[in-house]
Amino acid sequence: MERKLTTLQEAIKNLVNDGDKLALGGVGRNRCPMDAVREIIRQGKKNLHLIGREKGIDFDMLIGAGCVSKVSFALVSLEEFGLAPNFRRFAQEGKIELDEHACGSIINSIRASAMGIPCIPVKGFIGSDVLRHSKTIKEFICPFTGEKLVLVKALNPDVAIIHAHKADEYGNVQLLGSPWEDIYMAKAAKRVIVTVEEIIPHEEIKENPHLTAIPYFYVSAVVHTPRGAYPTSCDSYYNYDDDNIKEYAQLARTPEGFQEYLKKYVFQSC
Amino acid sequence: MEYKVSELMISLMAREIKDGDKVLQGLYSPMPMLACLLAKNFHAPNMTYFNTADVVDPNPTEVPFSTAGPKLQENCIAYLPLAEVFDLAQKGELSLIFLGAAQVDMYGNTNLSVIGDYHNPKVRLPGGAASAYLCGFMETVIWIPKHNPKVFVEKVPFITGQGYINGWDTRERLGIGRGGPRKVITNLCVMDFEPKTKRMRLVSVHPGVTVEDVVNNTGFELIIPEEVPTTAPPTPEEIEFIRNIDPNNVREIEFK
Repeated sequence: MERKLTTLQEAIKNLVNDGDKLALGGVGRNRCPMDAVREIIRQGKKNLHLIGREKGIDFDMLIGAGCVSKVSFALVSLEEFGLAPNFRRFAQEGKIELDEHACGSIINSIRASAMGIPCIPVKGFIGSDVLRHSKTIKEFICPFTGEKLVLVKALNPDVAIIHAHKADEYGNVQLLGSPWEDIYMAKAAKRVIVTVEEIIPHEEIKENPHLTAIPYFYVSAVVHTPRGAYPTSCDSYYNYDDDNIKEYAQLARTPEGFQEYLKKYVFQSC
Repeated sequence: MEYKVSELMISLMAREIKDGDKVLQGLYSPMPMLACLLAKNFHAPNMTYFNTADVVDPNPTEVPFSTAGPKLQENCIAYLPLAEVFDLAQKGELSLIFLGAAQVDMYGNTNLSVIGDYHNPKVRLPGGAASAYLCGFMETVIWIPKHNPKVFVEKVPFITGQGYINGWDTRERLGIGRGGPRKVITNLCVMDFEPKTKRMRLVSVHPGVTVEDVVNNTGFELIIPEEVPTTAPPTPEEIEFIRNIDPNNVREIEFK
């Protein structure tokens, strides 16, 4: 097995390219790979196509920082802190292309990517205007049952970034909490960066193989980033910091305020 | 016993859950989260409770603000990715999901996508989460914390979540006969859908609310039955349970 432990700077520099389709793990304000998001902003990556189910501050920051040209999503929101301000502003100004999904299509698109198939049938969508406007979800008739369904295109992410709990230096990853789409994302993407709270000895992996959610061969790079999901939560490790997210929601209402947030929490801390 | 409207709405949503049901609660769904916990601890001990923390049957001592938050894993019996809850739904084994909306129309169609032109929107809304998917084949209960004419519009400009589309048998004709919205629960009243026309119909008004209040706050003509009863309030035991597991007033965040 190859040692994959590296620095965040190197991982983002070598594995995330301008124009990549990038899937980010976590949901809402929970276990999003925020250290990686901040590093992508510092390195000024461009034209990323973000892929995720129900996302918040991670997507909104990348959009506001000008790193994004397209978003495939089921929801982008700051929940009780309001509409995601950059997502909203960039969409209204026509500065990002939207590929609107629902949870069931985006999840199954990621699954189809992991399965190596070009598309996957799912139920629902008939009668929704989401379907009418979609280029990645199309109506089809099942040749076996005659049932009217839709096919969802496999979005085939180039890179997936996941924040997990523990891994060894080879990239055997333990995911010790809510799984969300993270494991499917790791299996779907061509390149996978896993940031972790703790690096553990390889022996510990072998003692608990039932905890290995993502084995080494899926993983391109492992980065040790304690509190790397901050200000989003990381299961039993730490909760979300709602004061920080509230501050973000207030500042990001204006482009100037957003720059202030970046200066304070993204560029200062490097 | 005095109670808040949030506590009434939670109790009403809980009553939509029958013992043995399999129910899914989504993201940014504080009242559905509390309703599921209330039902499971009271009249529906055999329900299966799924949520966006990707866990089965959690029973937290205190509910979190994020309805996918770590605290919602407490006392659960398993982790189950949402992907697999959706598989259950597609197999017809999920009973109910609670869904929110920025706008709802007279046939129960919901909008969470845009105000204005889709490609050049006046307001870009967050997106419908599971709506366009699950509303196509699942029974849903819609909850609206602020019942007013901006939310209840005659026709939504964009159908994110399918209600009964144009009413009558539109769903059947589209081949999506199964499912559809069962109830709409708001801060003022409970509504359902008249079986033939599929138009929204008043079921009951909450204590202290008049039929006129509901009519004045609804942007289309509701079906008003001759007799409109008053909604049954939550029991003192229900109120006590809700306050006990929600000391931080998570249930109030949608009213701010």
